[in-house]
Amino acid sequence: MKNVMGVIYTGDSDARLRELTMTRAIAALPVAGRYRVIDFLVSSMVNSGIKNVGIIMQKNYHSLMDHLGSGKEWDLHGKHDGLYVLPPFLTRENVGVYSGILDALRSNSNYLTRSKQEYLLLSNSDIIYNAHLDEMIQLHRDSGADITLMYTRDPSMRRNEYGSYISVDESGNVTDIEVEPTEPTLEYSFMDVMIMKREFLRQVVDKGVAHGHHSMNRDILMPIIQEGHCRVNAWEYTGPCWRMDSVQSFFRFNLDVLDAENRKRLFTNDLPVYTKVRDEMPARYGENASIINSMVADGCIIEGTVENSILFRGVRIAPDAHVKNCIIMQDGQVHSSAFIENCILDKQATIKRNAKLIGPAAYPIVIAKNVVI
Amino acid sequence: MKKKTCVAMLLAGGQGSRLGVLTKTVAKPAVPYGGKYRIIDFPLSNCANSGIDTVGVLTQYQPLELNAYIGSGAPWDLDLTNGGVFVLPPYQKAKGSDWYRGTANAIYQNMAFIEQYQPDYVLVLSGDHIYKMDYNAMLNYHIRKGADATIAVRPVPWEEASRFGIMNTDADNNIIEFEEKPKNPKSNKASMGIYMFTWAKLRDYLIADEADKKSSNDFGKNIIPAMLADKQVMVSYDFEGYWKDVGTIESLWEANMDLLSQPMPIDLHEKQWRIFARNPGLAPHYIAKGAVVSDSLITEGCEVHGNVKHSVLFAGVTIEEGAEIVDAVVMPHAVVRRGAVVRRSIIAEGAIVGPGSIVGEETGNIAVVGHSVTLPAGVKVAAGQQVDEETTF
Repeated sequence: MKNVMGVIYTGDSDARLRELTMTRAIAALPVAGRYRVIDFLVSSMVNSGIKNVGIIMQKNYHSLMDHLGSGKEWDLHGKHDGLYVLPPFLTRENVGVYSGILDALRSNSNYLTRSKQEYLLLSNSDIIYNAHLDEMIQLHRDSGADITLMYTRDPSMRRNEYGSYISVDESGNVTDIEVEPTEPTLEYSFMDVMIMKREFLRQVVDKGVAHGHHSMNRDILMPIIQEGHCRVNAWEYTGPCWRMDSVQSFFRFNLDVLDAENRKRLFTNDLPVYTKVRDEMPARYGENASIINSMVADGCIIEGTVENSILFRGVRIAPDAHVKNCIIMQDGQVHSSAFIENCILDKQATIKRNAKLIGPAAYPIVIAKNVVI
Repeated sequence: MKKKTCVAMLLAGGQGSRLGVLTKTVAKPAVPYGGKYRIIDFPLSNCANSGIDTVGVLTQYQPLELNAYIGSGAPWDLDLTNGGVFVLPPYQKAKGSDWYRGTANAIYQNMAFIEQYQPDYVLVLSGDHIYKMDYNAMLNYHIRKGADATIAVRPVPWEEASRFGIMNTDADNNIIEFEEKPKNPKSNKASMGIYMFTWAKLRDYLIADEADKKSSNDFGKNIIPAMLADKQVMVSYDFEGYWKDVGTIESLWEANMDLLSQPMPIDLHEKQWRIFARNPGLAPHYIAKGAVVSDSLITEGCEVHGNVKHSVLFAGVTIEEGAEIVDAVVMPHAVVRRGAVVRRSIIAEGAIVGPGSIVGEETGNIAVVGHSVTLPAGVKVAAGQQVDEETTF
């Protein structure tokens, strides 16, 4: 397995995530009580035996770097390879902020050249999955294809004017691709995860950038698939996956995790999800606490009522406070007699005594970081 | 090797036989406590927070789990280039080999480890207690007092003083006399088993003690009395905070229950003095529809479908529908099946309580289901009973 490196591109478009991505990349979005989106991707890679992971940072990369640290939590701090954080920088080849994934890969060609692995697994960071990537790698090697794409049949991944979709023949070859169609017509959703030889990627990236291209899917994959001079294979991912492309989808993912089946599929024993540890004490429930169908992280103190909600680490719910269908990020507080429903509280947000906030289920209210209401 | 001002030696070899089935396969310092900790997290975190970054952990009894738990020391930031945490089991020497014969002998056998760092002071700790303490403040006190040995003491109720090792001191905290479990205590200052020594002095006493064939090579029985007899400067260091010996089933249960009282007698939320622990990397816990949870501590990886009241659940515990947990301590990855009732009990790591079984009673002693024991359906475990894999029903 050591012959594969992983690269995660964190410059995904985040326009519809509103305040949630004002100060952070999608990859750094807090999810499921104690994780960031990127934890699932890096853990998948590490669990599949990948020991060299490069993370291309784009904007707002401070919170991501703070979270990843030395890569210790993912055992990516060894002497051989490990975690490489790749923020934009200024040199002769690199002119600061990347204008897309191709530009970003081209700017980091030094890292790509220096790495020793024969294969490279490339992933975007706006889809949460927990995959046996070793199976995908195996298929790619066995099939002798030039590129292998990861796809899903999950209908919830389909969006109008967003994402890429592929069709696959019986022998697993990708026969067509459409990128950001008004309405998807091809049957499978491409998950923006692909594997190919490192050298192959370098060549197509160089060529693409030289022609002024920006998009991996539209400018590189599409012509390759349509012209048919390279073999593009597909590997089906059958596990759970979620697109983090809007406040609604972020909200839905978190509430989906409350479903036992989803939880079991996402947090399996053979694919543990690692994250930065905060050393909080266990969550503490008061005498009059009332809680149902909720996920609660360590360090919380719950004295009020909580239903269908996700509470991140260090959240405080005061006596007589009522929280319903909410996501409350790290160190959020809901004071006594407050009532909130369909709200997303970003880190350290506070809802004061007696406040009442009810969002529509289809358009949850987002309370930005550090805001007091 | 870079010189260190102070090296800590943590005595973690004790069997903890009074913990019964809980220490059948693990050493006492590795016993789980407080939902996500093990007892040894407290002295290790105290060291890390006190700036003492070189720690020898002396292991002997059932060391596997403890060794694996300590690992590189990374959870306590003790994975360092200079110093760090070292597990020190007894080893073979050219002139025969030996188990650790006593607390003093354990340190004696590891003098070479200590000497590598040429420390001025050596802190001797035990892995049996729950407390938060700034060892650096104790070190400063030791230096200020010009002491050869400083012994941490805490006040105990007078009526209980005859159960402890008692330090009789003068008004300046100079120790005049040490009495182990005195019938008529003259003081209520009980030794906490935490000793700060000036290394050069301790070194001489360890060598002399080892040469004395009649000695039982114990700090409390031999080293401290010998130093007192020689009129070395020995002072007591007062500690007022929470301190709990978790050496028995009842006291371990009580110490867990202490975390449920308001306010917590030991503040584990304190950001400046975190208690670190190896993290099992599980998802946040989940409380299902129909569950009733109150007055409890619950941590990562738990799934609660039943009723949990005034209890402590460790990582990865499952409480099935209709199960009832009251005044109980349920250790990592234990499962309580449908309709089972657990009261005033400790369910050890990996144990399974069968459907409809009843463990413990509303009053009386604490019942214990041992490590990885599978309790069949519909059985009853009485108050004070300890169940291991050989127990038949």
